[in-house]
Amino acid sequence: MYIVTEQIGGVTVIVVPGTELDASNYSEFKREVSDILAASRKVILDVSQLRFADSSGLGAILFCFKQLNETGGQLKLCGLSDRVRMAFELIRFHRIMDVYNTREEALAAFQSAS
Amino acid sequence: MCITPGRKRWLLFSPPPDVGVTDMEDQIRGHVRYSLGKSFSGATPRDIFTALALSVRERAVDAMLETEARYQARDPKRLYYLSIEFLIGRSLASTLWNLGLMAQAQKALSNLGLDWSRIEEMEEDAALGNGGLGRLAACFLDSLATLDMPGYGYGINYEYGLFRQVIEDGYQTERPDHWLAHGTAWQIERPAEACIVPLYGRIEHGLDRHGQYNPMWMDWKMLIGVPFDMPVAGYGGRTVNYLRLFSARSSQEFDIRIFNAGDYFQAVEQKIASETVSKVLYPSDSVRTGMELRLTQEYFLVACAIRDIVRRHEKRHESFDSFPDKVAIQLNDTHPALAVAELMRILVDENDLPWEKAWEITQAALGFTNHTLMPEALEKWPVDLFERLLPRHLQIIYEINDRFLSLVAARFPGDQDRLARMSIIEENQPRLVRMAHLAMAGSHSINGVSAMHGELIKSSLAPDFYALWPQRFNSKTNGVTQRRWLLKANPALAALITRTIGNGWITDLEKLRELDPQAETPGFQEAFLAGKRFNKERLAKLIRETTRLKTDPASMFDVHVKRIHAYKRQLLNVLHIVHQYLALVEDGVPPPMPKTYIFAGKAAPGYWLMKQVIKLIHNVAAVVNKDKRADGLLQVVFVPDYRVSLAEAIIPAADLSEQISTAGTEASGTGNMKFAMNGAVTIGTRDGANLEILAEVGEENFFVFGLTAGQIARQRDSYSSREQIAKDSRLWRVLDAIQSNRFSSAEPGLFSWVARLLVEEGDHYFHLADLPSYIEAHQRAAALFSDNRLWPAMAIRNIARAGRFSSDRTVREYAAGIWNIAPCV
Repeated sequence: MYIVTEQIGGVTVIVVPGTELDASNYSEFKREVSDILAASRKVILDVSQLRFADSSGLGAILFCFKQLNETGGQLKLCGLSDRVRMAFELIRFHRIMDVYNTREEALAAFQSAS
Repeated sequence: MCITPGRKRWLLFSPPPDVGVTDMEDQIRGHVRYSLGKSFSGATPRDIFTALALSVRERAVDAMLETEARYQARDPKRLYYLSIEFLIGRSLASTLWNLGLMAQAQKALSNLGLDWSRIEEMEEDAALGNGGLGRLAACFLDSLATLDMPGYGYGINYEYGLFRQVIEDGYQTERPDHWLAHGTAWQIERPAEACIVPLYGRIEHGLDRHGQYNPMWMDWKMLIGVPFDMPVAGYGGRTVNYLRLFSARSSQEFDIRIFNAGDYFQAVEQKIASETVSKVLYPSDSVRTGMELRLTQEYFLVACAIRDIVRRHEKRHESFDSFPDKVAIQLNDTHPALAVAELMRILVDENDLPWEKAWEITQAALGFTNHTLMPEALEKWPVDLFERLLPRHLQIIYEINDRFLSLVAARFPGDQDRLARMSIIEENQPRLVRMAHLAMAGSHSINGVSAMHGELIKSSLAPDFYALWPQRFNSKTNGVTQRRWLLKANPALAALITRTIGNGWITDLEKLRELDPQAETPGFQEAFLAGKRFNKERLAKLIRETTRLKTDPASMFDVHVKRIHAYKRQLLNVLHIVHQYLALVEDGVPPPMPKTYIFAGKAAPGYWLMKQVIKLIHNVAAVVNKDKRADGLLQVVFVPDYRVSLAEAIIPAADLSEQISTAGTEASGTGNMKFAMNGAVTIGTRDGANLEILAEVGEENFFVFGLTAGQIARQRDSYSSREQIAKDSRLWRVLDAIQSNRFSSAEPGLFSWVARLLVEEGDHYFHLADLPSYIEAHQRAAALFSDNRLWPAMAIRNIARAGRFSSDRTVREYAAGIWNIAPCV
């Protein structure tokens, strides 16, 4: 799994690759993203390519959230498809994570907070 | 193509002007060629059926789209009828009748050298139900569409319907009913509207960004629910709603594992397991507690339905404030009761509504129909199963229960027993979730299905809930659609009625009252009897084909068809037949008129006792039918594989309708209504809707017998079947004949359970108490049947006074009293 990251004004944008995040690839995703999270304070997880996430995939997103929380960092999400949003709300992740429609909106939220 | 020019309701037998016979012929040929890929000369009758059904479906879909556009424009409140069963039967003929296309279809087939009746027989029954509850749901859909009301059915697209019954040596055996084996022309798959259904997993307890408790449902497995729509045409074709049935599919998660996990077979097994959720209908309307697949089915239905309903609402409306003004959800018994918790979960968890607001919306949107009077038939599920399968829902149910019990405690201070009785959780070992309590707590309306049933719910089944919320309780007497049960099933009688009073009865059954003056008119009586004779000959032919028995259409057809169940008392009927047989062969007393006793019905596969009743019927039949002394006087027939299409053939041929449940046990019944509507006179107890039929037709047109529900309740503790036997030697003789192997000479002791059940075990359903008055009622009926003026007058009065038992009336009552929906034209 090749994860693309971008640095924009002190914010690390992680683009979740592929159209699925599920039982077949969530472990690899966690492994790949772990070091990136350890080195970042403000992170945007861009899931706009994602069309499907099962409970394992959503668990991987929760892992990112928790890892950043432990180090005093912050996570925001952007680009949820309808189907991913449905699963996201089912778990009540929207109660703990900030979700934005676009990457720009998420960036703006980080900037206005600082 | 629009099939409702000017929104005019077509008249009976007059085809719509823009659909000609030649068009239909061309469409049938076209579908044989292009949909089935065959030349017309090589088409089988099944191919022709499919081609015709596809042609009709095109017209139904046109009208369905027009209906939806109308609803979209007016945004009316819509009804969603959630039912684990829809006993649809065949769809072709009823759709043709309702769209006004029957005459063209028959002519088109005739022009193509084909016979309608042969083609009609090619259709498989959609047996997606066990009995009354599922058939009621199907009748409601027909009425909703005919009344132009926005109402939809939501159910499960079972791949296997209710089992096929095969009789082997008098025993019921079950065969799978793969009704979709040849596909179906009626369903439209909607993959784009598929929804996810989470199951299993665990709750991760945490806090949200505001520091509030935030339980997160993690590690669930996922099913996909794919909707299939079946158009439901109302009479006249102006409104076509649909029945949405969901099929379970494995999620992508499983598919991916097939390729990645290496263990191909395990992955395929998991995939198959996930799809079993919609594989098969449970063959009993009361399912043993603890069956995980059944609870999974119930949640699958609820999750798909509520997701779909909420999605439709959100598409059009900004908030949930208007949800109860736009949405009515009716729970057909407790099977969809999880809708209470699921709607709360979606409102609170996914849409951040405060609990109180969500609860207000949920209660305002939901209504609950109870279908049973037997406390043991009320569903309860183990808490530990819930915790494993639906951990978040269990949390929500606990919260509902906590708030609910606080309300009860405030209203009835210090009454701890009441709290225990009313709690949604039964604190036994194992602890159980009481689904009826969940449904009652979460619904603004709780209704029974007959006047008597409504009263018994208040006094016996749920008196504590009635004391708390008397305003929620009401009754809506069941009904049946006359379009299927008279217009389609009994063309001879339908034509006679239309010739006499016009066709208004097809949409207003109360108009049958206009037949009352005809009851004693010789010409009308003769025409009625000619139609009845035609139906009896048709049934005799069917019986000959299926059982090889030759029956006499001149004899009285005494019909007992329904689910085989102890409280419905097929055994009482058998006891009477044995009595009548013994009276003939031992006392030399023949029945006043030759009689043919006709049974049909399925027993639940695990219900040993009722399967024994089927065997007893066959053995009694074998003895009676072979006895020369009974030749031409008594005959007993069991027609196998009772289903909707068989009912359509049997009911119009009946002279006497057996509705003999123990008083206080049958919630309503709908078979009783179908028989009365078709000119059969009822022999029945004061039970369920029998009482209302009795009130309509009058005691002089109904053979009533037996103890009342009140008498039975009062005698319950002191009743002694031995005392009954001591009082009446006929009872002893009947039991002795069975006990002494008169009907089981090859297998002595086979029916020893009869005496055990009725004598040693106390005769729970009061067979022996009611048998003497049942015998007298039969004597009255048989004597009157020989009067060829009085009997048809009684039968015609039954037809004329059956107007109240249309499901159109029932649906209007639900619409006005519970759903608050109106016609949208």
